Amino acid sequence: MGDDIVNSWRRGQLPGCLEDLMTTNVSIPQYRTDIYSTQSILDPYPHYATLRALGPVVWLPHQQVFAISRYADCKAVLLDDETFVSGDGVALNPVANRLGRGTTLNSDGDEHATKRSVLAHRLTPKAVRKMTSAVQEKAEGIVDAALSKQSVDGVDDLATALPMSIVPDLVGWPEDGREDLLRWAGATFDSLGPVNRHSVAAVKGAAEMLAFSRRVVRERSVIPGSMGDDVLKAADENKIAKSSCPALMIDYLGPSLDTTIGAISGALDLFARHPQQWQAIRQNPDLIPNAVNEVVRYESPIRAFSRRAVRDVEIDGSRVPKGARVLVIYASANRDEAEWDDPDAFDITRDAARQLGFGSGAHGCAGQGLARLETQTMLRVLARRVERFVPAGTPKRAVNNVIHRYERLPLHLVAAEGTPL
Amino acid sequence: MRINVDWDRCEGHGICADQAPKVFSLDDEGELHYAFDNEEIPDDLAASARSAIGVCPVAALREQA
Repeated sequence: MGDDIVNSWRRGQLPGCLEDLMTTNVSIPQYRTDIYSTQSILDPYPHYATLRALGPVVWLPHQQVFAISRYADCKAVLLDDETFVSGDGVALNPVANRLGRGTTLNSDGDEHATKRSVLAHRLTPKAVRKMTSAVQEKAEGIVDAALSKQSVDGVDDLATALPMSIVPDLVGWPEDGREDLLRWAGATFDSLGPVNRHSVAAVKGAAEMLAFSRRVVRERSVIPGSMGDDVLKAADENKIAKSSCPALMIDYLGPSLDTTIGAISGALDLFARHPQQWQAIRQNPDLIPNAVNEVVRYESPIRAFSRRAVRDVEIDGSRVPKGARVLVIYASANRDEAEWDDPDAFDITRDAARQLGFGSGAHGCAGQGLARLETQTMLRVLARRVERFVPAGTPKRAVNNVIHRYERLPLHLVAAEGTPL
Repeated sequence: MRINVDWDRCEGHGICADQAPKVFSLDDEGELHYAFDNEEIPDDLAASARSAIGVCPVAALREQA
């Protein structure tokens, strides 16, 4: 539908009802480059800079969506959840939007609040505070193992190891379904992209994950006392529909892995390339909480999600028609030169608390308390025990429509003096 | 300036307390406390209070019109 409108604008033939849009919308620019080609996925930031320069709202003919790329506009869209709804899905293709029905991610208003209340309280800072010593212990063990190898893959050996040792237990995912978990979770994200070969290939993994989750619900094979157990109990008490349980299990499990892996591995890469900032952290670990904000700003583990506009609406002078899908590009907002001084510079001393890497508003990342705990704990343990990280080969980026992270990050760890190897 | 805190929305992330420690604080239990409930926020704290509104990850803080 959106494309028809844009074509009409270009031909100057507007349906009568859209005539009032014409006055402001004649100038909506478009960007014909596919920002989801493999090349763009690997290096998206130049495209985001072009989008920001083109205007507040830019039509993407490949994805048939209006791109929102500037910080202030992204934030305004996220906060106006009555106009820009999630209930028709936040993905860029209709199959994923249909499969995602029943999730917290794809719901609005009271339904969303109810679903979020079932689980989100388990992930708040207050709740995860009880896990602090367990996370610390796991992180120490992971760093022990990494230091004994010295040459490590920052992704596998450090970044992945921590969330994988925490999240599946918290969610209560059965032991026998963990082997494929990371692949499934990555595929689930990938499947939320536009129709391209990546999302098409990912549908299989996403479907496998959903099928496994259905079995977990049917057999009630979650770990007692876990978040998954809460989901089943909420369904027993008719607080939520039984049919939404499988999707709700994935709702919290899927997003808790790749994102945190992206943040931790991104931090390792950034500190390897900015050794002075690592020394600053080692001398003053109180810098770590804001450093994590800056890492999430700089790396933005989730590129973008979409919303649907339920009415004609103006974004910074550009009209978006009712029914259109808008793409909120968090990763672009986090590098907007109108919001950040020298946005492409990594600087742990800047105030990065307002970064949009976790989204914002009603759908703001429910797991950010846990993500912050894991990432901060890992950096604290490393700061005590690792003098510096030395790049030891070419890093490789993962190719995923939604997740922006490393797949491989070869590093050499130099142990701090007095740290036993 | 006054702030409305939506306690149903607040999940205690505490990012506001980092921005405006004299306005918001987290206690040892992880509960958020707002120092100016139904009171004017003093002028010298207004700027930090506004940035606290801006960083709340779940949009639980609103400036009263």
